[in-house]
Amino acid sequence: MAYIVPAIFIIVLVFAIIKKVKIYDEFSAGVGEAVKFTMSLIPCLAAIFMMCELFEASGLADKLTQALSPVFSFLGIPKELTKLVLIKPFSGSGSLAYLNNIIDEYGADSYIARCACVCFGSSETVFYISAVYFAGLKQKKLAAPIAIVLVSTFLTTILACLICRVM
Amino acid sequence: MNAIFTCIFLISLAILAIISPEGVLPALLGGAERSLTMAVTLFCIYAVWMGLSRLAEKSGLSRTASKALKPLSRRLFKTDNEVANENIAMNLSCNLLGVGGAATPYAVRAIGELEKENNTFAQKLLFIINATSVQIVPTTVIALRTSAGSAAASDIFLPSLICTAFSTVFAAGIYILGSKKWRT
Repeated sequence: MAYIVPAIFIIVLVFAIIKKVKIYDEFSAGVGEAVKFTMSLIPCLAAIFMMCELFEASGLADKLTQALSPVFSFLGIPKELTKLVLIKPFSGSGSLAYLNNIIDEYGADSYIARCACVCFGSSETVFYISAVYFAGLKQKKLAAPIAIVLVSTFLTTILACLICRVM
Repeated sequence: MNAIFTCIFLISLAILAIISPEGVLPALLGGAERSLTMAVTLFCIYAVWMGLSRLAEKSGLSRTASKALKPLSRRLFKTDNEVANENIAMNLSCNLLGVGGAATPYAVRAIGELEKENNTFAQKLLFIINATSVQIVPTTVIALRTSAGSAAASDIFLPSLICTAFSTVFAAGIYILGSKKWRT
């Protein structure tokens, strides 16, 4: 798998040389686009992170985790995964930290860690993606798509825990 | 998003005001600080991939690559916009290869293009496909497992594939069916 990234770079560079693209100029211009793009994200990111921080600091996140873990166990999701499942739609780096904790605590080949890995690998940071993709647009109306994605992510979590039991 | 944001913000604030009012400002400032750290991390990813993607674009490579996926994206997203189709095709290929960082700028460009023809159906479908994850190889997770000393780091490959396929097909299917119903 480690070969994918260098391979992509080599292919693109060789192709660009053949087509006589000014590689340095165009690459820097691409980075310039990245600067503008990142700047356009900062307002949304700052607002969302402030919300997340308050959410954690108020203890609401922990309360919610506690309240929901019986429901999760009933559906076959180990309670150790509750926090990971709740955090994942909001924060990629936050959920990665939890995934790391789980792997360290239970061992990479345990049932819990494998469940966690599959859940993590087959889901995305829904709210972050919605904020980034639709940052520049006026008319949004994203409630229905976000709800569909969250429901399907949740069903997938249940499925992942089932599959990990047999595979 | 506005409703969710206001709700969580207000409830958290109310609780904090009771249990530790002096914790409010540090939490807010901490959040702002984390957003900048995050922006720096993101910038690094985008700088690498957008630089590369510009090369691919200027050399015509992305046009060639997207031709293979174009019939599919045209039928699925119902758009004849060349630029949008190209960006959608590149977004999907990056996702499938497991380089999600490279996929985001393409999606944002495609959504901007689709905005011009007011094609909200395609915008939302693209969002749904991306937000349910369409990774074939979960590179990050496998790397993490290897470094944690897993005996079989890639044995989660098949379960992940099944799950990610299920979530995308399920969500996209519901959305397509739902939007057909509302229209007629």
